[in-house]
Amino acid sequence: MRAHPIRTAVIAALAWLVAFFVLAPYLYMFVTALKPRSEVFTFPQGYLPETWQWSNFVEVWDRIPLFEYLRNTLIIAGLSTVLAVAVALPAAYYTARRRFRGRRAFLLLVLVTQMFAPTALVIGIFREMKVLGLTDTYLALILTNAGFNLAFSIWILHAYFSSIPVELEEAALLDGCGRLAALAKVTLPLAVPGVITAVIFTFIAAWNEFIVALTLTTDADTQPLTVGITSFIGEYQVQWQYLFAASLVAVVPVVVLFAFIERYLVSGLTAGSIKG
Amino acid sequence: MTATSKTVPASAATGVGKAGGPPTGKPGAGRPSPGRGKRPGTDHPLTPLLWLGPALLLIAGVVLWPVVEMVLTSVREVSRAGVIRGWAGLENFEALFDEPDLVPVLIRTLIWVVGVVGVTLLISLGLAQLLNARFPGRKLVRWAMIVPWAASVVMTAIVWRWILDFFHGMGNTILLDLGLIDAPRDWLGEPGLAWLWLMWVAVFVSLPFTTYVLLAGLQTIPGDVYEAAQVDGASRWRTYRTITLPLLKPAVLVATVINVINVFNSFPIIWAMTRGGPGHDTDTTTTFMFKLLRLDKEVGQSAAMAVLNFLMIVVMVLFYLKAVRWKEVD
Amino acid sequence: MRVVALGATATLALTAAAACGSDEADGDGKTITFVAAEYSDKTEPYWQDLVSRFEKANPGLKVDLQVISWDDIDGHVQNLVLNDKAPDLLNLNKFADFAEDGLLYKAGDVLPKEVLDDFIPSFAESSKFEGEQYGLPFIASARLLFYNKDLFAKAKISEPPKTWDELKEAAKKISDLPGDAIGYGLPLGPEEAQGEFQIWINSNGGHWVDDQGNWTIDSPENLETLQFLKSMVDEGLTQPNPAKTDRADVIEAFAAGRIGMIRGLPQTHNNIADQGNKFEYGIAPNPVAEEGMEPSTLGVQDYLMAFDNGKGAQETLRKFLTFFYQEENYSKFITTEGFLPTTQSASEALSDDEKMKPFVEALPQAKFYPVTDPKWTAVDGAVKQQIGKAVQGTDPKKVLEQLQKTAEG
Repeated sequence: MRAHPIRTAVIAALAWLVAFFVLAPYLYMFVTALKPRSEVFTFPQGYLPETWQWSNFVEVWDRIPLFEYLRNTLIIAGLSTVLAVAVALPAAYYTARRRFRGRRAFLLLVLVTQMFAPTALVIGIFREMKVLGLTDTYLALILTNAGFNLAFSIWILHAYFSSIPVELEEAALLDGCGRLAALAKVTLPLAVPGVITAVIFTFIAAWNEFIVALTLTTDADTQPLTVGITSFIGEYQVQWQYLFAASLVAVVPVVVLFAFIERYLVSGLTAGSIKG
Repeated sequence: MTATSKTVPASAATGVGKAGGPPTGKPGAGRPSPGRGKRPGTDHPLTPLLWLGPALLLIAGVVLWPVVEMVLTSVREVSRAGVIRGWAGLENFEALFDEPDLVPVLIRTLIWVVGVVGVTLLISLGLAQLLNARFPGRKLVRWAMIVPWAASVVMTAIVWRWILDFFHGMGNTILLDLGLIDAPRDWLGEPGLAWLWLMWVAVFVSLPFTTYVLLAGLQTIPGDVYEAAQVDGASRWRTYRTITLPLLKPAVLVATVINVINVFNSFPIIWAMTRGGPGHDTDTTTTFMFKLLRLDKEVGQSAAMAVLNFLMIVVMVLFYLKAVRWKEVD
Repeated sequence: MRVVALGATATLALTAAAACGSDEADGDGKTITFVAAEYSDKTEPYWQDLVSRFEKANPGLKVDLQVISWDDIDGHVQNLVLNDKAPDLLNLNKFADFAEDGLLYKAGDVLPKEVLDDFIPSFAESSKFEGEQYGLPFIASARLLFYNKDLFAKAKISEPPKTWDELKEAAKKISDLPGDAIGYGLPLGPEEAQGEFQIWINSNGGHWVDDQGNWTIDSPENLETLQFLKSMVDEGLTQPNPAKTDRADVIEAFAAGRIGMIRGLPQTHNNIADQGNKFEYGIAPNPVAEEGMEPSTLGVQDYLMAFDNGKGAQETLRKFLTFFYQEENYSKFITTEGFLPTTQSASEALSDDEKMKPFVEALPQAKFYPVTDPKWTAVDGAVKQQIGKAVQGTDPKKVLEQLQKTAEG
């Protein structure tokens, strides 16, 4: 469509306004993280700190084992994602390409899995991990995160595989490739946006997971950041400035990651938005 | 046409276009029929297990096991300290149905899901349209739109709670400075107001995902459809209503189902901002269940609530799918 | 159906595999698990140091320590017990429901007589369940009226209030000051509603239970108290929504100089100092309903308790507990965390701390939560969720009756 300059300006202004509103809470987070404690509790609140307490961002590393928490979160979220996608790929591919007995039942099961929230199941999850002797281990959180996010990965990959014409694969088969080789050489590369979407989704969910980690981990060697920073919410005080400083340390890498793969996200979701 | 087409090989893009193309709006209409390849012999009956096995194992081990535990707990008598005393039959369910707060909480949950998902969809439809248009800085705005998704929900809820704090909140400061209120208000203290703010935060964190799904949906609509409409002299609004919306139906459907599930199960927002209080005035079934477990120490009743919770969401999703006449998962 | 069958098979397979995974080594009772509550960021270092010194002094014995934040320790312990994995030693604010389920050692089984005799009698008394002492008094705390002297001066109030009427009067004068100062900070939110409410009912001669241990939540005194609180809220003398305001919020707002009066605890000194001592403040006894009544304080007591997990850890527990209750080890914990001691030897050692003095002096008039009744856990949870609403719309009488029902049910 031909763009009218005034129309474009209005759209741009509107969009920028939206962006500001979306970012505003996080800007406030940033401002609070830079205030000394005596300024955190003032009213009216200062829009900007009077004293810019940059040292909050340094001190927060000493106050809690932030490095360990970050490391734990990264390991847990990373491996959960790898596991979920690795398990989802064959299932999604097969259900997209083949008809077989139990296919409907399987897809239905996947949909049902999506409806269970770990919050409702903490007792059962704890019980299971106790039986398996896995409390306070990465593995417990990796399994749980992967399990509860598997449904979305299967769903998005299933949709994406379905959108890739079978003919491409068949051509490769005719060229003498085996089924697996055809999958690896032709289909998988085409499915990259779908895989990336699944990866992002699982990674974010695992990165943000709170209740299960709270239930299954008790020491700093395995606790992820979401649980770790709650130690700033004490019995008698909340250390807002440190809480927000630590939160930002956690949020920024994910936001940067997102910025890099934003364009894949849209194309990955495209298939999902058509197929359901 | 967009950044997308550059990243997806043309062949896949056409495949996508083909699937979305028919204006019948029926998802799966253009689906390649599985198993059509005349491969030598059909798969062995156990072959599916090979491909689906890992997924089944993970689902069974991680999701179904706790589910079984939950159902068992719901028919057990558990002491407040946590000792299992024996079977309780349906007593936990009876006690749960006797809770005077149950019905209000159920009603509120329904309002929560319908309200949050509805408003999210409306706003997202607008945002998707906006972000699909061309303007300077679009990339940055799109990126900003992702931030609430990338930032954890717990963090986002906590920062909103602090913004809305009665004693020290930035919210009151801004509103006072703008002259919109003349005394600080306790936004999260009055049940009605608190409820609206909770719903707003839930909408806020649901916007990125929903907008992106709809944005993805918009990109599947071929440009020539619009050109034809323009030739016909249709107004923008009319074009949107008669062409864009019907073609967006599959994307709206997906966004709705996922959002209904997520919003229904949403816990951190209410927990971090009001703990469902005052009393149970801002509880949904999910926080209510958690309070039964942790505050009232009624382990069995809490499990009964979890079972009820699950049945409700199944009904809700099925009802929705039925309402939009969606042919099941393929 | 097929899916279900598959799930079941997979579950079995996983279970079988799990049998190989080892759990905590029980064995000969030389290793004990200890779940402690995190009072502050100094708690964990304290216990780590104590445990390592204990292990050095007692080769072969091991203490497996877990320090868990107050917010989740309840849930965590609930989970552990639910799975037959109760810790050997636990630090919590209640013990009776565990005693009721027969999970605990008696105090005499895990402590030598000289330590038992060192406990201040009133604390030992409130550690009993059905006449037997199961709880080991661990720390104590008390609540007193903190008031902002600057605001009092501005509002021309010369003395801290001694009665409810004076308190209301003072709150009114402060609320009427130009600006947005709040007269009295009333935290009836879920975090600590039971504490604030008990201070009020005690100062009107009421309590949760009578001397025979019968529940008296819906007594006339308590109803009167609730109606008084409601009148304060209605007249705008408190912050607007007590039902959702938690204690930490009120303490921080007081420390910021925005509230005239609150109930504070020893740690409140730190909150005020951390915000840079923005004003002068004083501490006074809790005002009473009628002139002539004796002021009381809310005594809060936390416990240690030893679980009988049938693995013969009794001797190890006894050694560790005796080590902990040695005067210098115990006093160090009390001073590090800013609490009041529950043993006579430590009380003597700590009697000259200025900031603690008013609290130590108030302790003899302390009234405790009815923790010795296993029902208290349920009542506590219900009070946290409901009492606030009684000053904000719901009929106070109905709320009290509902709570009474919870207690008796």
